[in-house]
Amino acid sequence: MRRRLPQLFWLTVVWVLLWGTLTPTTIIGGIIVAALVTWLFPLPPMPDTVPFRPLRLLGLAGFLAFDLLRSAVDVAWETVLHGPRARAGIVSVPLLSGSARAVALLAGSVALTPGSYVLQIDRARGTFWVYTLGLRREGDVERVRHAMLVLQRKVVAAVGTAGELADCDRGLAAGTEKTP
Amino acid sequence: MTVVDVVTAVLLLGGALSCLLGALGLVRFPDVPARLQAATQPQTLGMVLILVGTAIRLEFESAATLLLVALFQIITAPVISQIVGRSAYRAGTLRRDDLVVDELADPMARDDAPVRDEPPDSGRGR
Repeated sequence: MRRRLPQLFWLTVVWVLLWGTLTPTTIIGGIIVAALVTWLFPLPPMPDTVPFRPLRLLGLAGFLAFDLLRSAVDVAWETVLHGPRARAGIVSVPLLSGSARAVALLAGSVALTPGSYVLQIDRARGTFWVYTLGLRREGDVERVRHAMLVLQRKVVAAVGTAGELADCDRGLAAGTEKTP
Repeated sequence: MTVVDVVTAVLLLGGALSCLLGALGLVRFPDVPARLQAATQPQTLGMVLILVGTAIRLEFESAATLLLVALFQIITAPVISQIVGRSAYRAGTLRRDDLVVDELADPMARDDAPVRDEPPDSGRGR
């Protein structure tokens, strides 16, 4: 029950925001709806200590916002200049963290940036595949792979435990050694 | 003209431009995954820009609702783009000749073999 309290709180906040008025009716209504939602659709149990680093998360959000703008320009360029002759590719990237939280956030982050989305995730094999638009120059594939690894490091740094972050760094070191 | 006016104008026009480019991409790109790129992310960016541009002109109560709209859009759009994109790849509507590189083809072929809805013997050796 104690773990459901944050969920109850945030769902009530969303409800009140949707109504746009802060009155006892909307607050009580929100609590009732939040209780119903958390009871009907329970989330899977979370690990006891969920690492939460607001600064890193904020950094990730800022990075994504910048990335969103930059790749929006890239995709616009590809649209206007090449259009029907658009070139794309599917690049495999090693998955550095097995935690469901990190993987979900990573897939969401990749999908938000124009021009790329996660096509397939294979946690057992530790790989995910990214579809990317606008691979034209030599070395673009490696550039995408590297960018994805950097993004992954940021995601794990924001929501991963210290152990997961260490694993991630080890994987990153091994990965950069393999690819010249 | 105040600073707020200028900021609003830039945000609204930028958002509209992003949506226009998304629509243009939908027409010009050759296959489903590429069109999906045009249909989801520039639209999301455009919509968020327009919502922010509108929100800064409104009183807080209405603005908060608009920011919720943006949040839900940001949360749901990636899910849809991933599911549609994956289906497109599996259904073969992706023009593989146009791909520069396809590192998923081999693992996918290996994975697909044992999960076909056929008796284990009949599907082999074709």
